[in-house]
Amino acid sequence: MTTIVQVTGLSKRFGRFTAVDDASFSIEENRIYGLLGRNGAGKTTIMQLLTGQDFPTEGEISVFGNRPAENAAVLQNVCFIKESQRYPDDFTAKHVFEAAPWFFPNWDSEFAARLISDFRLPLKRRIKKLSRGQTSAVGVIVGLASRAPLTFFDEPYLGLDAVARQTFYDRLLEDYAEHPRTVVLSTHLIDEVANLLEHVIVIDDGKIIIDSDADALRGSATTVAGLASAVDGFVAGREVLHRETIGGFASVTVGPLDAAARASAAEQGLELSPVSLQQLIVRTTTGSESEWEDKS
Amino acid sequence: MTAITTGSSIGPTTTLGPSRIVSVLKLQFVNRWTTVWIPLLILGAILVMNIAIWALILANLDASADRAEVQEGFQYSGASGYIFVYMLVVAVQAMNLTFPFALGFGSTRRDYYLGSSLAFVLYSVGYGAILTLLSYLEEWTGGWFLGGRMFTAVYFGNGPWFERLFVFGGGVLFFFMIGVAFGTVYVRWKARGLTAAFVLLAILLVGAAALVSVTNGWEALGAWFAQAQAVGTVAALLIPTALFGIAGFFILRRATPKS
Amino acid sequence: MDEGRPIFVQIAEQIENDVISGALPEETQVPSTNEFAAFLRINPATAAKGVNLLVDEGILYKKRGIGMFVAEGAKARVVAKRREKFQTEYVRPLVEEAAKLGISQSQLTEMIRKEDSE
Repeated sequence: MTTIVQVTGLSKRFGRFTAVDDASFSIEENRIYGLLGRNGAGKTTIMQLLTGQDFPTEGEISVFGNRPAENAAVLQNVCFIKESQRYPDDFTAKHVFEAAPWFFPNWDSEFAARLISDFRLPLKRRIKKLSRGQTSAVGVIVGLASRAPLTFFDEPYLGLDAVARQTFYDRLLEDYAEHPRTVVLSTHLIDEVANLLEHVIVIDDGKIIIDSDADALRGSATTVAGLASAVDGFVAGREVLHRETIGGFASVTVGPLDAAARASAAEQGLELSPVSLQQLIVRTTTGSESEWEDKS
Repeated sequence: MTAITTGSSIGPTTTLGPSRIVSVLKLQFVNRWTTVWIPLLILGAILVMNIAIWALILANLDASADRAEVQEGFQYSGASGYIFVYMLVVAVQAMNLTFPFALGFGSTRRDYYLGSSLAFVLYSVGYGAILTLLSYLEEWTGGWFLGGRMFTAVYFGNGPWFERLFVFGGGVLFFFMIGVAFGTVYVRWKARGLTAAFVLLAILLVGAAALVSVTNGWEALGAWFAQAQAVGTVAALLIPTALFGIAGFFILRRATPKS
Repeated sequence: MDEGRPIFVQIAEQIENDVISGALPEETQVPSTNEFAAFLRINPATAAKGVNLLVDEGILYKKRGIGMFVAEGAKARVVAKRREKFQTEYVRPLVEEAAKLGISQSQLTEMIRKEDSE
């Protein structure tokens, strides 16, 4: 697999605040990546650095073999869709889609037209006057129809309702299957996109804490539940990721269990259950669970 | 291993497609209401207003001698000055709003700046042509049938067509570039930067005035203006125009489209 | 789609179930990985992993340019595989649970007979 993005020792500081702290990772082509983390963890900053919209304080970035900043040859292959995208005053959605092919060599206007009707987007209304969901749809449509070999979606679907979000995921999968490209989705709503992701990169307070294949990650933890005493006995000596207790019961998340351990747990009457990607990531990062909830 | 998908993968385009500069140029022409129709509408409105005022003034005078005298005063009109200032505002707005958009679409700052500046040059030529046309129209109608002067005021709008074009076009470009420069200052350093830039400019102007005073140069300056006329003045203004243009380029190089 | 076993394993199992039940006879075409992915709303690579698992086991094969087909003798192979796992996955839990509840072997056999006749 070809590596198309290589990041080494990347840091970004704003005054005394460190948004990205010594991050190193790589992105391989034609996969769907999840860039996950709490709000404010550094996801957007990293994407801004990768797309040349901001400049690193330290470290090296290579996209398609070159530094992305101010590099037109690289940037024409990159599409960065963010929820906070500002559009020129008085621009309508129609203007945006008119201008898109000038910047994205792979733009597919037929695909865009289908998406416009899928999302029921009014074309001639000024973007200022569109609802939040409609504005998000504009971004999503650009990202999808651009067919840019490297496409970033920075939570652009926050404004979309659940139905529209599902439409987005469906269209993304469909198009990705027909025309593979590298997609990076950043979100704090992990469970919704969990099944779409092949590889997961988790950022916490600017540092990369997880960089793993999604399936491998899912298999890397199990929840053991039952009477507190039995559970504690079973998990003694194991790496504990998370513990919850209610009265005399305990539910503990531990690392992977082999067949023998699973059999032993079953014999002791302990219940083993899988850990969802969201639970796993929430439990390995700092902060409370509520920070991962849908606040839109 | 079986191929994962049946579709064809999109590899990165390594050759540079049609120039992004042209793409940005086109971007500045997408929304013609703000940059063309509204300024022209307002210009038209001002003209109509002036005509009304002239008509009103002249209606109250009977003696032809009085009329002539008053009409002579008309030539000191500054009404068309509005359009120049408006261009400054248009440029500031354009930088502020199209910059994050263009960057969001993957343009480089360099291409954005060059494309936008080129667009403003084209706009300047366009407006220069329109104003030149209006100045001739004014002459041919004898001052809109009232002896009014808006586009052929005493300072400009006289002389052969290429001079008029140069004066109008160059004047508009000068204000555009000021707007562009201040626009980039705002994009990069926001409100604080803008304030600082204004203060700096004020200091420079006051300083220049002080310099002229100290060297007793006002007379000489006045004489120079009288000799240079509009054409010479605008030609001289080309230097600060270029300077603003260059300054804007370097200011934008490290600007970020923070919302 | 439960979170328990990896998704690609579940896909493989689902196809195997269809092969055994006869819903997917031998030499018929199986939906493409993209179709699986779109239908189940999962990443095509994951769907492909599941399909490839079955290809490796000789249950599916690829006809170039056309798609995935159920291999000859696939049903027999799947049945054999499942039979091997039957002991550990079904019989053992049954016996253990019966032991916990104090059900004797003869009682257990009687219960099985009752099931069969219904």
